[in-house]
Amino acid sequence: MKNKTKGLLAAYGMVLPAFLVVMLTVAYPIVSAVIQSFQDEDTGAFTTANYTYFFTETAQRNNLLYTLFVVIVTVVIAIVLAYLLALYLRFVKSGISRAIGMLYLLPRFVPTMCAVYAMITIIRDSGLINRIGLLFGLDIKLGLMYHASGIIVMNMWFNIPFATMMIAAGLGAIPDSIIEASRDSGAGRWKTFTSMILPLSMKDVVVASTFVFMSNVGSFTTPYLMGGNSPKMLGIALYDQFNKYLSYNRSAALSVIMFLICSVSAAVYIYTNLKEKDWEK
Amino acid sequence: MKMKKVMAAMLAGMMLVSMAGCGTGAQGGSDSAGTDSAQTQESTDGKSTLTIWASGSDNVRQVFETLIDDFNNNSEYADKYQAELQFMLSGTGTQSMTDMLAAAYKAKQTDTDYDLVDLGGDDLSKVISQIGEEAFVKLDKNKIPNSENVEAKSALATDYVQPYRGTTVILAYDSEKVPTPPKTMDELVQWMKDNPGRFAYNAPGTGGAGDSFVRTSVYNYMPEEAITSDDPSWEDQWTEGFDFLKSIHPYMYQSGGSVVYPSKNQGTLDLLNQGEIDMCPNWADMVLSQRAEGTLKDTIKITQIDPSLTGSLQSLAIPTFGSNEEGAYAFMNYILTTAAQEILVKQMAAIPLIDTAQLDMTGYEDVESLDVSNFRIMSIGDLSTDFNEKWDNEIGTLN
Repeated sequence: MKNKTKGLLAAYGMVLPAFLVVMLTVAYPIVSAVIQSFQDEDTGAFTTANYTYFFTETAQRNNLLYTLFVVIVTVVIAIVLAYLLALYLRFVKSGISRAIGMLYLLPRFVPTMCAVYAMITIIRDSGLINRIGLLFGLDIKLGLMYHASGIIVMNMWFNIPFATMMIAAGLGAIPDSIIEASRDSGAGRWKTFTSMILPLSMKDVVVASTFVFMSNVGSFTTPYLMGGNSPKMLGIALYDQFNKYLSYNRSAALSVIMFLICSVSAAVYIYTNLKEKDWEK
Repeated sequence: MKMKKVMAAMLAGMMLVSMAGCGTGAQGGSDSAGTDSAQTQESTDGKSTLTIWASGSDNVRQVFETLIDDFNNNSEYADKYQAELQFMLSGTGTQSMTDMLAAAYKAKQTDTDYDLVDLGGDDLSKVISQIGEEAFVKLDKNKIPNSENVEAKSALATDYVQPYRGTTVILAYDSEKVPTPPKTMDELVQWMKDNPGRFAYNAPGTGGAGDSFVRTSVYNYMPEEAITSDDPSWEDQWTEGFDFLKSIHPYMYQSGGSVVYPSKNQGTLDLLNQGEIDMCPNWADMVLSQRAEGTLKDTIKITQIDPSLTGSLQSLAIPTFGSNEEGAYAFMNYILTTAAQEILVKQMAAIPLIDTAQLDMTGYEDVESLDVSNFRIMSIGDLSTDFNEKWDNEIGTLN
């Protein structure tokens, strides 16, 4: 009995530091931001004006829609490409696939700022591609800079390796025996894929999507350096509200809005995990 | 038994780590961190510590590090003072230094280590409007003998701050593509219309060059006194200037089919260097020092237009709540020596405030043509916040 209490105390003691850090650095700021977001800037009285501002002002509403557009396109393209890459790494056994398997995570280790500037020097209208084109008498202007398409291209750099890693782990967990069994019972490649591999890896696809979605909603460096002036992604809009206009209450409201957008994706993530547990019972 | 010991050791270790983590976290986050080292005033070798606070772009940090190094080792004050730099990079919360000063003053702190602060432009007008000039020591010019050689005076808090360098926004252009640069604002506008897509200014709020360009464009339509006033009633008169900005919008740099205002001063400078544009407003010091380093093409030159883009004087001030007034005076006097002024010219292409005849200006002859006495100095204080918001809503959203 005594030992049990001691054990419990030790357990709580080990959890406590992490718990306190989370409370102080995550929970407390969230609560205070929510409170501040409902306060009037001058009087501190209750108001919902900070929120309506982001949905009624055309420029702000466009920022919101623009962010969702960029993020969703990023998620779809990144996941499709990552899935194809993961399939290749899992089922093709060759020197090339092993080399790719070792190299594909490299982009994650390049510092964000360096990667963005590297991409800019390649794709800008006077960049590497344009210069190579000029050698052949072609004036290629990609028009990617200061445009949503440029941000999406850059997002691929960061998100494909990450999504591939998650999906590849899921595909790796599918035993060869399942695939062989399916082939033995006469299923073709396509049938094996649609009825065995895809359903078995669906959970990882959803989880990878939610992570890519969440990490892009609040992205800053890429849209700051590669995005246009309007519409802006929410990370930049938040920076403007906070650092340029010094409207702290609106900043709080926008933070809460971004938090809610991300929590939709978090809910999907939790739901997928719970469903798995259910199935395991 | 063994398990228990391991557990206990792990627990203790974790506690230690988490406590250490909290400690550094609290220090980094709190504004009072600045007061901590004030007690350690006398360092071991008998020199008294002088803490200098500055903020700006990275070149400001570099030049201050060189100056402080020279001050600590080579100057006549080398035996008496040990200067240290506290630097805040702009764009990572630029309001912080002025806010920190205001907070320390309003909390009636004394004996802090805000011994000497570097202020200019908007920062200076913000601090003065927040806590007033009496938060700074009224300067005794007898303690700054070298100030005799300096004619430039700060428009704000004249008796409380010591200007030590000038900087101004100019028009940077590629002389290969533009043999005869415009001399007036009207000529510039005509040039933009003749060469659509070849001019860009950075979005205001992301860098001082864009700020200067849009503000002078707007204030050119307003009475002269408005440019140094933070009275909100002037906001009503911005309309005409904003209409002008709208009218030149279609002739700006384009990418991906729409007009773009790049972020940061460096954003437009990169476009100019890459040949995507032929002209942009930028800081004289940025252009000249990058050209000297070889990162900008030699063909890029600078010119001023009439009415001119804004410039500003950068000054040092001694907060009354600092703890090393004598040391602060010593550094003020040092920064006006020929040695220090030459460092400022060579390292950041700053406009020196002492007679350039005494300085070696090789490679920076362009600086001599920029006369601080003709500077158009702008200080609209907190109006800049509304101004940037208006620009973002009315110009930034145009297509």
